[in-house]
Amino acid sequence: MPSTHREIQELLADYASALRDGSLPTFLKSLTREEALRIHESQDFWEATEVVRLMNSVGFGDKLVTPDVGLFISRVDAGIASRMKKAHASTRDPSRSHVNLHREFEPQ
Amino acid sequence: MDKRLRNALQQLTASDTESRRRAMEPFVRATFAMFIRHLHRYLGNEVECEDVLEDVYADIWENPSHLRDIEDERRLLKTVYLYYMRKRLREVYRRLNRRAYLSQADLQSLTAPDLGLCDLVSQEELKQLLHKMLGKLKARERRAIELWMEGMSNRAIANQLGTTVGAVKMLEFRTILKLREMLKEYSRESGGED
Repeated sequence: MPSTHREIQELLADYASALRDGSLPTFLKSLTREEALRIHESQDFWEATEVVRLMNSVGFGDKLVTPDVGLFISRVDAGIASRMKKAHASTRDPSRSHVNLHREFEPQ
Repeated sequence: MDKRLRNALQQLTASDTESRRRAMEPFVRATFAMFIRHLHRYLGNEVECEDVLEDVYADIWENPSHLRDIEDERRLLKTVYLYYMRKRLREVYRRLNRRAYLSQADLQSLTAPDLGLCDLVSQEELKQLLHKMLGKLKARERRAIELWMEGMSNRAIANQLGTTVGAVKMLEFRTILKLREMLKEYSRESGGED
């Protein structure tokens, strides 16, 4: 059971571990109102987070598993295609689409 | 800047959407490693980094105007971070934080902060800098940071150093603040980052 009255040094250590382990949401959810206020008011905490990020980057940035970039490119392309489709749909003349819809459902 | 990246950037800032779409593949290939490593600094989670980066690239495709006339990789990273990544980073935990106590402004400062002293320093330079800074610490402080960077939990570090978890957290906090002072000094000596 994590402590609910963590001092600023404990909060920083927990933030650092959460960032390193990829579990920031757990850290955010663990904060009590008092702890959130303590973080807000601590200049030291904010200054230290920058160093934590750099340590995280140096220690673990190179260990990132390089995924299949080709597969990632397909995902990006699918996202772009979807945006193009949406943009195309929103620029279509609404009155025309209404007419088409009406005709399509006209009784034979 | 790498010739491949320069060509991709030129094509990417073309006017028609189809040309830009075709230019995305070489652009992604040339920048993926740099961008994902940068995002990892703020999120620490590969899956989230990839999701954010996917949106970042689509945003770049949609509006690449900020990337015109960029001549080096550092400027590219800065521009992409400020105009594309930050917006997406701010959205990552926004929904989750509705049930948490940290204010939205603080959450943004945590996950999408302003560029810091060394945020645009290359990975290699950063490694050398950190190595140099660690060398200036006391043995116990250096050991605690090195063990942390090896991925050890605070409890495991406490066992290694023969102390308590609370003492390790305090040691880490003080050491990190020391490192921060060294970073400031480095930044002053090198004339500041941008």
